[in-house]
Amino acid sequence: MPSDDQLICPLCGQVHRHQPLAPGQRACCIRCEATLEERARLGPDAVLAFALAGVMLAIPAALLPFVTLVKVSAVRTSFLTDSFMGLWSHDMNALGFWVLCCGVLAPFALLLVLVAAVWAERRDTTGRFHQLRQLARFIEYWAMPEVQILGVMVAFFKLGDVVDVSIGPGLWCYAATSLFTLLAWRQFNLQPRTGWSVASAPVET
Amino acid sequence: MKRTIDTIHSSAVVPAALALSAVVMLAPAYTLPVMHLVFVGQAPSDTTIFSGIKQLWRQGLGILAAIVFTASFLVPLLKLAGLGWLVVAVWRGGEGQSRRLTRVYGLIDFIGRWSMLDVFLVAFLCGAVRFDALASVQPRAGILAFGGVVVLTMLATRAFNPRLLWREETRPA
Repeated sequence: MPSDDQLICPLCGQVHRHQPLAPGQRACCIRCEATLEERARLGPDAVLAFALAGVMLAIPAALLPFVTLVKVSAVRTSFLTDSFMGLWSHDMNALGFWVLCCGVLAPFALLLVLVAAVWAERRDTTGRFHQLRQLARFIEYWAMPEVQILGVMVAFFKLGDVVDVSIGPGLWCYAATSLFTLLAWRQFNLQPRTGWSVASAPVET
Repeated sequence: MKRTIDTIHSSAVVPAALALSAVVMLAPAYTLPVMHLVFVGQAPSDTTIFSGIKQLWRQGLGILAAIVFTASFLVPLLKLAGLGWLVVAVWRGGEGQSRRLTRVYGLIDFIGRWSMLDVFLVAFLCGAVRFDALASVQPRAGILAFGGVVVLTMLATRAFNPRLLWREETRPA
């Protein structure tokens, strides 16, 4: 069990000792050179600001029209969750649920967990903060809003000749939510592992 | 000592099994159609991952074709090759290669999610293009297999413990 002033490399297991890091400074493992910690230029307030902005935009992203397609005189408006419905209605339930998880549930859940983690840190509940940090790391691995946006962009070009496509406000909000999710996660991930008040850097023991 | 080596070997069994399952799924993923397209005025057609890439290329969208080719073909193959290399290195003892192999692991972990591109693409088209007789897109079995490849490779990466690559260096004298 590592003590509070120790840092173990997640990739090679090398034990390091903390030293203060300046904002923007990065500490690497002396053995495998993996990044161990990086002190964010912005503080935890930035995580909260990005995450809350993402949460606020997530609601219109889910409720407003995502895209509108026109074929001859027929018009069809689709929403964010229609990707899931498209697979589900063709008996691909597991894949549909998987797409929903990676594209919608995990990114939105990540934002909520980040807000909760900042809140726990503010209230000095260190145990809860570490639990939420672990949960955020797990969720982030499966959250892929940026990949979904790229997939939708490629689909637009594929449809170019056969259907008229117009982007709805839901897609813009989803893109903004994705951006804020990435920014919030990046800032959160750059905070020192032992809590935001203890900036530290590893050196060889 | 034997028990330690057995433990190390068995630690790589789960990622090896998941990666092997993904290899098996590659064949249906690349050969079966991923979607069925119906557009009024055109003959209904099935699209595989490769025919989709070719279609983008013919439309003059070379950059997009390259992106989809990378995400849907190169990334899964590179991930599986990399995982195979890591597992073999753990079993055979990759002394002196630990740093390089750790970088390979980091790369596999980083690029893994981008293979989902084609799954999101097909899901979006199936959900959005639903004009009944005028135009529709329906998913086919290939996308299920390809989704399986993506999930299995991501699970295999997660199941692999990169610290196993450093056991030679950490072994007490």
